[in-house]
Amino acid sequence: MKNKSVFPFVAVVGGLIAFGMYKAFTVFPTMPLQASVQAESVDGAWNGLLIVETSIYALVMSFLLYCLVMFRAAKREEQGDKFDRSRGRFVEVAWVLVSLALTLSLAALGAHELRALISDPSADIVVEVHAQQFSWEFYYPETKQYGTKLFMEKGKRHRIVLTSKDVVHSFWVPEFRVKQDAVPGKAVSLILTPTVTGKYTIMCNQLCGWGHTDMQGAVEVDEHDDFVNNTKASDF
Amino acid sequence: MKGFIVALVVGLAVMAAGSYFLVEPLGAQAAAVLGYLAALLSFLALVGGGKALRGYADGAEPPEAHDWTRYFSFDLDHKVIGTQYGVAALIVFLFGGIMALIMRLELAHHGLQFLTLQQYNTVMTLHGISMVVVALIGTAGSFGNFVVPLQLGARDMAFPRLNALSFWLLPPAVLLLLATPFFGGLDFGWAAYAPLSVQGASIGKMLFILAFITVGFSSIFSGVNFCATALTMRAKGLTWMKLPIFSWAIVCTAVIQLIGTSVVAASLIMVTFDRVLHTSFFNPALGGNVLLYQHLFWYYSHPAVYIMVLPGFGVLLEVLPTFARKPLFAYPLAVAALIGIVILGFVVWAHHMFTSGMWALLKMPFMINTELISVPTGVVFLATLGTLWRAKIRLDSPMVWALAIVANFLVGGLTGIPLADAPTDFHLHDTWFVVAHFHYTIMGGAIFATFTAFHYWFPKMSGKRLNETLAKVQCGLMFFGFNALFIPMFWLGTHGMRRRVADFPAWMDPIQLWISCMSLVVAASVLVFAYNIYRALKDGEPAGDNPWEAKTLEWKAASPPPHGNFRTPPTVTEHPYDYGVAV
Repeated sequence: MKNKSVFPFVAVVGGLIAFGMYKAFTVFPTMPLQASVQAESVDGAWNGLLIVETSIYALVMSFLLYCLVMFRAAKREEQGDKFDRSRGRFVEVAWVLVSLALTLSLAALGAHELRALISDPSADIVVEVHAQQFSWEFYYPETKQYGTKLFMEKGKRHRIVLTSKDVVHSFWVPEFRVKQDAVPGKAVSLILTPTVTGKYTIMCNQLCGWGHTDMQGAVEVDEHDDFVNNTKASDF
Repeated sequence: MKGFIVALVVGLAVMAAGSYFLVEPLGAQAAAVLGYLAALLSFLALVGGGKALRGYADGAEPPEAHDWTRYFSFDLDHKVIGTQYGVAALIVFLFGGIMALIMRLELAHHGLQFLTLQQYNTVMTLHGISMVVVALIGTAGSFGNFVVPLQLGARDMAFPRLNALSFWLLPPAVLLLLATPFFGGLDFGWAAYAPLSVQGASIGKMLFILAFITVGFSSIFSGVNFCATALTMRAKGLTWMKLPIFSWAIVCTAVIQLIGTSVVAASLIMVTFDRVLHTSFFNPALGGNVLLYQHLFWYYSHPAVYIMVLPGFGVLLEVLPTFARKPLFAYPLAVAALIGIVILGFVVWAHHMFTSGMWALLKMPFMINTELISVPTGVVFLATLGTLWRAKIRLDSPMVWALAIVANFLVGGLTGIPLADAPTDFHLHDTWFVVAHFHYTIMGGAIFATFTAFHYWFPKMSGKRLNETLAKVQCGLMFFGFNALFIPMFWLGTHGMRRRVADFPAWMDPIQLWISCMSLVVAASVLVFAYNIYRALKDGEPAGDNPWEAKTLEWKAASPPPHGNFRTPPTVTEHPYDYGVAV
């Protein structure tokens, strides 16, 4: 094979591209604070994808650059090499098989994490979240309390039961990663296990009308004692 | 112009009569629908559709206009229609771009600067829908119409009158969209999710739905036309495996238009019924189903991104061999990949609905199907890289633009995988990560491809050459501005920046200001583009019949091609990309 220099070129330039991206991802972390068990699943899948995609990007870009550097026409009349089609057959088959295998393994990784997220519906605490244009309301059916703020207990599995009074809304706390639409006419559940105490913002993530931008709510994750204290009043 | 004014008067008269005679709650919405239908029909009749229909019934050849007025009439020549599409796409592109700049001005700093939330929603929705229209017609409508019959060696499209109708449905739709801010604005984004789209008495929302349906019909008609043309009008000797890849891509696009668009048109007609006749397809208060709308909408609107991107792939793979001076690598496999994308494209729609509340296990097959689509898309990259391998690359302006598509679409494709992957999509869905991703595919892929196609075929269409330096400066500016603009948006998206909101936390300020500045760089590149066209049309040097030394049939016709395209019907013997020297 002619043009053997492609191997060292792709190794060096591709390596530099990949290293640069890796550095960028460490200086600017790709995800915010990880504050729930579910976020660990999501970030696991995300980090796996990040490694594969960085490698593919570096490989393709360095190969493209090699072609642009090496195969330029010096004079307009120059013509490229016309191969017999059979010489490319091996590359075609290999490319399709490799990309198929890679895709299926990524899908398998995703399916694995997806199963972890949806398979177990059990929960310690149930909270109903009622969405409407343009506010959130929280209801704890076990204690029959209403809240204007979502209190959660660190380390406990919460089932968030979402309903909507008017249009489609969506419940999202970036630090918890998972999100779920609130659909009028049906109740949809979301399992959340917060792991880091603190105050976060619930954002409506589905365009729900004029006030969508301002449709935000507060969530507070507490240790057991604080959680009990904060939810002591009949409504809070 | 006369037709337009008469149609406007007729429409307003019907609308006024309707709102007087019809009783609320039927009144205003029904009057708007009837008024629009009356205006649309009278507009089409007066712009020349009536004459064309009468001529068709009598079996007479249509009369030929040869001055500039033909571009404003119901002309049947595919080259005129292609030009009409191109100019329309450019106007809508400028409008959508201005909407984008207004948004960026508002988003330069946290808090609300000069827009109300209502106005922001309207501007954002108009930006979305107008750019969707541009992406749908920019390459397929203009260059598809102009180039495909030439590449097939045909005199015209199979159904010239239907072709003219496809185009003339667009101006009323665009005017309707322009009218929406004056009739209460839009609060639902271009996806018009129910039940938000069936609620509220705003006439603007009704007009938006009507415009969407009109564009849908235009798209269906042009899909029929391209399929029929490619099936029946190929030159002697032009077998399917000798068909230029751009024509293949347009045929694949047309198949999606045929199968998919009818579904979205139907669902929007159901929305119209819900609004006007108080049926309850999607209104949960009356027993309707909210998720049904999303399924119907995405059943079209995911394949719709392939309506936008497949012509782009076609342009890319058409341009590469010409400037690499080499045959297109893996041509049969690339054709198979285009067909594969069409088929797979119809079984992935619910990846837009991973967080919608649909049955949890349904996420699994849609996740796997969606990820599988990276195999045929990967083949497009294989064809690209294989064609560049041991080529003799000429860096003329179309090639520079084509290379920009490759770099952009690589990012667009790779960032699609975390969105196809259900667990990561739970976090990324409806954030700016999605916004950046689809701008990388639709703007970085499809719109850059429209510019590629423009620089490649403009000499054929006009007979004039563009300035190469200006073309490359524009490409460089747009490529830099585009990437500098959207890369930070991925990061903001994962860190909590939602889609379709007018405000954000104060800590994002420096990044948002940077993005706003970069949007001006993209705007500047469009000005360079406009100047380049002006310069070329005013005193560009003559292009000659085949400035790029390409081998497909359109370069065998004169520049610009005369009515009927070829003096004698061409015959095809060799492969379209038979460049290079045997080794």
